Amino acid sequence: MRALGVILPKLVYAVGMLLAVVVLNFLLLQIAPGDIADTIIGEMGGATAEIEAEIRASYGLDRPLAEQLLVYIGNIASGDLGYSYYFNRPVLEVILGRVPATLILVIAALLFAIVAGTFLGVVAARRPNGLFSHVVTVLALVGYSAPVFWTGLMLLILFASIVPVFPVSGMVSPVFDGGLAARVVEIAYHLVLPALTLGIIYLAQYSRLSRASMLDVLGADYIRTARAKGLAEGVVVYKHALRNAILPVVTIAGLQFGQLFAGAVLVETVFNWPGMGLLAYDSILRRDTPTIMGVLLFSALLVILANMATDFAYRLIDPRIRGRA
Amino acid sequence: MAMRQGALRKGRTTGAARGAAGAMAGLAAIGLLAAAGPAAAQDDVCAGNKGGTMVVTSTQVPRHLNPAVQSGVATAVPGTQIFASPLRFDKDWKPVPYLAETVDVSADGKTVTIVLRDGVTFHDGKPVTSEDVKFSIETIKANHPFQTMLAPVESIDTPDARTTVLHLSQPHPAIRLAMSPALMPIMPKHVFGDGQDAKTHPANNDPIGSGPFKLVEFVPAERIVLERNPDYFLKGLPCLDRIVINIVRDSANAVLSLERGESHMQPFTVNSRDIKRLAEDEDLAATRDGYAAVGPINWLAFNTRKSPLDNRDVRKAIAFAVDRGFITDKLQQGIAARATGPITPDSPFYTADVELYEKDLDKANAMLDAAGFPKNADGIRFPLTIDYIPGVDEQQKNIAEFLKPTLKQIGVDLNVRAAPDFPTWAKRVAGGDFDLTMDIVFNWGDPVIGVHRTYLTDNIRPQIWTNTQGYSNPKVDELLTQAGVELDEARRADLYREFQKIVVDDVPIFFINLLPYHTVYDKKIGNLPVTIWGTMSPMDEVYLAK
Amino acid sequence: MTPDRPAGTPGPEAVAALMVERPLREAWRMFAANRAALLGLAVLAAIVLAALIGPPLYGVDPFDIVWAPFSPPGEGAPLGTDYIGRDILAGVLQGGRATLAVGAAAAVITLVIGLIVGALAGYYGGWVEEALMRLTEFFQVLPPLLLAMVLVTLFSPTLTTIAVAIGIVSWTSVARLTRAEFLRIKQLEYVQAARSISARDRRIIWVIVLPNAMPPLIVAAALAIGVSILFEAGLSFLGLGDPDVMSWGLMIGSNRKDFLEAWWPVTFPGIAIFLTVLSVSLIGDGLNDAMNPKLRQR
Repeated sequence: MRALGVILPKLVYAVGMLLAVVVLNFLLLQIAPGDIADTIIGEMGGATAEIEAEIRASYGLDRPLAEQLLVYIGNIASGDLGYSYYFNRPVLEVILGRVPATLILVIAALLFAIVAGTFLGVVAARRPNGLFSHVVTVLALVGYSAPVFWTGLMLLILFASIVPVFPVSGMVSPVFDGGLAARVVEIAYHLVLPALTLGIIYLAQYSRLSRASMLDVLGADYIRTARAKGLAEGVVVYKHALRNAILPVVTIAGLQFGQLFAGAVLVETVFNWPGMGLLAYDSILRRDTPTIMGVLLFSALLVILANMATDFAYRLIDPRIRGRA
Repeated sequence: MAMRQGALRKGRTTGAARGAAGAMAGLAAIGLLAAAGPAAAQDDVCAGNKGGTMVVTSTQVPRHLNPAVQSGVATAVPGTQIFASPLRFDKDWKPVPYLAETVDVSADGKTVTIVLRDGVTFHDGKPVTSEDVKFSIETIKANHPFQTMLAPVESIDTPDARTTVLHLSQPHPAIRLAMSPALMPIMPKHVFGDGQDAKTHPANNDPIGSGPFKLVEFVPAERIVLERNPDYFLKGLPCLDRIVINIVRDSANAVLSLERGESHMQPFTVNSRDIKRLAEDEDLAATRDGYAAVGPINWLAFNTRKSPLDNRDVRKAIAFAVDRGFITDKLQQGIAARATGPITPDSPFYTADVELYEKDLDKANAMLDAAGFPKNADGIRFPLTIDYIPGVDEQQKNIAEFLKPTLKQIGVDLNVRAAPDFPTWAKRVAGGDFDLTMDIVFNWGDPVIGVHRTYLTDNIRPQIWTNTQGYSNPKVDELLTQAGVELDEARRADLYREFQKIVVDDVPIFFINLLPYHTVYDKKIGNLPVTIWGTMSPMDEVYLAK
Repeated sequence: MTPDRPAGTPGPEAVAALMVERPLREAWRMFAANRAALLGLAVLAAIVLAALIGPPLYGVDPFDIVWAPFSPPGEGAPLGTDYIGRDILAGVLQGGRATLAVGAAAAVITLVIGLIVGALAGYYGGWVEEALMRLTEFFQVLPPLLLAMVLVTLFSPTLTTIAVAIGIVSWTSVARLTRAEFLRIKQLEYVQAARSISARDRRIIWVIVLPNAMPPLIVAAALAIGVSILFEAGLSFLGLGDPDVMSWGLMIGSNRKDFLEAWWPVTFPGIAIFLTVLSVSLIGDGLNDAMNPKLRQR
């Protein structure tokens, strides 16, 4: 029962947020010049006034706004995100086909940023004013300041053209034909450059964060005690200090999920990674509003789920807040 | 330097034109060609290279795979592998029997008899019959954007399972080209004829045809996987086991994947620097063969209903201000050729005898002065906006941007108006909400299909790729109407010659360049698709050398 | 002077001013001691100066065709030409204006929205805070670049739309920061004092609390400029830039297709963006260290 008491309010909250996204989508479509009928007519290459009116009517665009909103919410609640004129399929089907690729990319990039960033930060924290520490700071700043697509293009040139060791495009080779294990390897191989590109921006934050919290923690009493007990320095650093320094990392990771999604749009475009970002790009270039709005809704959903997951992870790691709702 | 093959073959007009005119003249003779067929069946066209997977890179996303209700390259390339059509064409514009054994056109040009090959089946094993042909032609006539293509078809009879007879309201010299793979896919009536709207039929995503390849997988905007049709009616074909069309949205990415051998072919490569770079690769080559029927023109259209563009001298002055040589030789590295008129040089009806608008700023300025548009204190006569199709930068946006400083020299303040997406541009142009726009329009083989639509007064419609310029000249209407029913090739060519002269002189459109479409390919590929329809025709004879 | 205040006691404003002034001077000293931050300031100043006086000094219209397309640096133009033969240097100089303007405008919009939302939430608490924080969380749930793309594409790509779109998607962190600061500051004695003598809310918020919340907000503003510039570049890269106004992002976006063949049209504006964002980040770091000595390690 207690678990339910914790989960239920969060679910209600999540549904509320999604509803708000749906309403925002609807409002955006209302405020923006033109409507779906204009887009369809544009895709058709134009139409007479009668056909235009017919299309408007068939999409219910001639109904009162409130009614349109209710229909829109009702459709989405029943899993109908609309029909993509451009992809000629239901939006839900198009998006579901793209979710796994984006999740793989975003999670890989996040893991890379966290692991590599934390490692760099921890090493740097051991000698806060040493050369290595400065190098890490500078690298972190550089990674953060360079536009992500730029980094991607550079890596593409370097590792796909000059020293062609990694594939340039897609998630699996077009001629790939192998079993599950081979597929995992194939995807991992294609994942290297995109994940690296996306991860580099966030590397900076994690290295700085872990450096800072390591410095804090290393100065704390219990660490001094551990040191006084004569524990080896490595044990002190990696066992005692790191465990405590990881909390803020988890928090930030959860918060960053949304931003990673955004970065994924650019990275997926550069590497032709078949995820939701590339889908968003494609559908924006064709003003495929049902798909655009679906992507917005779905990425919000994934961010909310990620936040909830972070929340639970936090509870697991930090016993102090376990009791709180 | 495989480049040579394509780029240097610029004096192509004569050869193709002669062959085509000859072929088209031989009306009743087509039946005789049947026996010759694609040599395929007898000899070993595959040269002992059966099997293998060919990866084709495409940067365009198809909506679906049924060319019957959707024009455009993205649908036509996979669609023509899946569906077969009555005729196909060779590289000299000669019709070759394909699904049809014979196609006979009566002497008055008003009755067309199609006799199917015997024993052809769809991918699901059901036979292809005259009912399917009738159904397909009716569906295409009702739904295809090219309305002039089958407009004269009044009624269709099916005297027996193999014979289809078309009754035309008037002679229709374009009828055979209209039977090309990209324009007349024969669809199974038992699948598509279930009463659902053809344009949104679910089977458009998962089509069944009778062509050399069957659809295995279609992942929207990602890839299309086609597999050999073992029961293909041309025995021993296709050579390839599989064709994978891999959709790569970023052109730099597409270039790299060709260079690395991850892809074997990229048709419709249009960026001049990509073409040059790829042609220099020792394993790759590039050819511009295979685009004769497409006849792609990149042009600048004027909204002739709007002042000051309703004044012919203003349009002429703008034409005289533009250095097309700079566009083709500098902006596009000499890969593209200049367009001179509404019909491309690959067509048998082309004439170069038109006003060439060699750049002459003084003349242009003088014309504008005379037309009553003096420069103000800032050197500006009037402002104009220019639109362009988003996503085809080198052909569209770059030229629009080039025109901005160019027209400044004659006192026109040109404002480049971005459309974030294609429908936005299309809506503006279809609705007449533009001054100037860049546009790309294809000839599509016969002028009746791809050319007339832009100039006929009665085709001024709120629809892109019609007469959105609002251009109207009774003489042009008369010439086109005559040429549309003229069965004599020489007389038809005369009519089109006069039409071209008038239209170029009236400048509803300023023709800029021919799109430098190239097929970039791995040298291991044999029997390249270089007919007039190129990759928009079955690639059943294409093979990958072992 | 508010009449209902006993004579002789300094007004809350004066106290506030005092509290702000000293740390500011102190902060500048610390900032000036930070070599990286000073370097950043110098670089940024140079970039701004170049954008301001560069175009008239150089005197080439960035839209004019000066030489053959894609001429390498030194051939015809110092930094080479782009895909239609326009001068890259002229573009970088002129483009700096638009990019910096979009960056600054977006940062201002970010700050204004963030400040208002955060200040109201932090100061009033209760349902106002509840509602505004839900709104903030709502915007955090939407991936920023994606939302910006949607906004720009729905409302046509002009510099104004782009700046507004960036502002709309980036204000949340400023709002959270402002709220936290307000929560802290409103507990402080002089604010309590001001409230007890029933000064008007608006006055307390803008005149007393806000100046004291400034230090972290200044840092946030510096970072917002950097983020906005990256956003503008990202949008232009995706083809959602304004082709009628030269900007760094537009230069990268429109030359990117030929990146493999010609590195210069993409590289120079890329370096300009990189240097600007880097210098803004360095300044932000310096300000952070200087104004929040406690948080220096962050």
